Amino acid sequence: MMSTPQPADRPVIITSLLVITTLFAFISRAFDLHQAWLLLVGVGIGYVLMHALFGFSGGWRSFVRERRSQGIRAQIGLLALTSLLFFPVLGGMFGVTGTSAALAPVGMSVLIGAFLFGIGMQLGGGCGSGTLFTVGWGQIDMLLALSFFIVGATLGSMHLPWWLTLPSLGKISVIQSLGWLPALFVQFSVLGLLYFIVLQLERVRHGSAQALITNSNTSVTHRLIFGGWPLWWAIVALAILNLATLLLAGHPWSITFAFALWGAKIWSALGGDLTAYSFWASGYQVKALNSSVLADVTSLMDFGIILGSMLAAALAGKFAPEGRLKPRRIATAVLGGLLMGYGARLAFGCNIGGLLAGISSGSLHGWLWLVMGFMGSWLGVRMRAWIQQEGRTA
Amino acid sequence: MRHRNRIIVGSAFGLAAIAVAIDHTRHSVPEAQPAAITQDQSVPSSTPCALDSNPCALGGSNPCSLGRTSSPCSL
Repeated sequence: MMSTPQPADRPVIITSLLVITTLFAFISRAFDLHQAWLLLVGVGIGYVLMHALFGFSGGWRSFVRERRSQGIRAQIGLLALTSLLFFPVLGGMFGVTGTSAALAPVGMSVLIGAFLFGIGMQLGGGCGSGTLFTVGWGQIDMLLALSFFIVGATLGSMHLPWWLTLPSLGKISVIQSLGWLPALFVQFSVLGLLYFIVLQLERVRHGSAQALITNSNTSVTHRLIFGGWPLWWAIVALAILNLATLLLAGHPWSITFAFALWGAKIWSALGGDLTAYSFWASGYQVKALNSSVLADVTSLMDFGIILGSMLAAALAGKFAPEGRLKPRRIATAVLGGLLMGYGARLAFGCNIGGLLAGISSGSLHGWLWLVMGFMGSWLGVRMRAWIQQEGRTA
Repeated sequence: MRHRNRIIVGSAFGLAAIAVAIDHTRHSVPEAQPAAITQDQSVPSSTPCALDSNPCALGGSNPCSLGRTSSPCSL
């Protein structure tokens, strides 16, 4: 069934453009142009995510429920292209200094955290990036999920030191272990195998597979502005914007540290004492806590993503879609948000900071994240189906 | 229904903007630090006012270390 195209939402377009421009000018002045560019990278990411409706949880859900692999194949494509851009840079081929991989220990903390996140992303209805762009889209249930995502991430940050006492193999970088070119070859082999497996599973179930590259009668310019992007546009754009993040910020795109930071700042403003929590007592965290939230790159990019998707949703005439919050949806959004937040902190990031950044920058913890996140997601899909079924029969 | 949702979303965004403004005014922008006491030399020098935006170093210094335990990089 074809949906009727909605007219562009002019008030929201004007508002979002005004906010983006004002914030850009303010940050250029209060910080520097470099910091302001990172806001625009975030805006670009949000715009792309919204126009392509590119998410991780939906792709995984389609595969678990219907054996449709289009979304997962797009994610594999994004992982491959981002790796192709990251490995030479991180391996020192171009002599670029000041960039670092998203390395994290391969241990119980990631194993459990990613599993919890996987459940949460299916219950909550969006992953890390998905939650942000659907909030920008104006979905009120995702506002609720984001609020509890923040609560979960804050709790996770308080408990993380204990989780880190559990067994771990330490950080393992395939770039450091093998050299960037052999590591890239291994990476492509594994990703290629995964692509082939999910493609075959879809063909076995359905006889054919949905294409990643699709044609449309609508002009390229119209789609660029008003939406309906094919997934491969999003793959290319997101990989380039992630490279821009690596070069500008010095680390790959990440999302959820900001959520813990916002929660900690709110907790502190309400009179809560953070000094008892070692996570917030040293290093980058304490600096971030004692500085403006606009000084934190992850926060700034998250704001950009929300603004970018808000602009894209308004251009597509989709901003703030209709819908009433039902009790069961409230419960899944709250539980999903909590699990995602807590899980992301334990797993050193969400599907972006843990999975995409980890794998694309050669950290083995990213692969553990993928396996455990998918297993959690499988369970989350079943739980979500059960909750919906109960809702219908109640 | 859609109008009501727009009001809810707009209010939430407005509240968030106020919170960001309050937070920004509570914290002065960090001064540029002399190179001699900069923790992480790999941070681009073009960002003196931003936080050290490189919480996870591949090697060398590790500003996000928790101290006694392993470091929570990939923040």
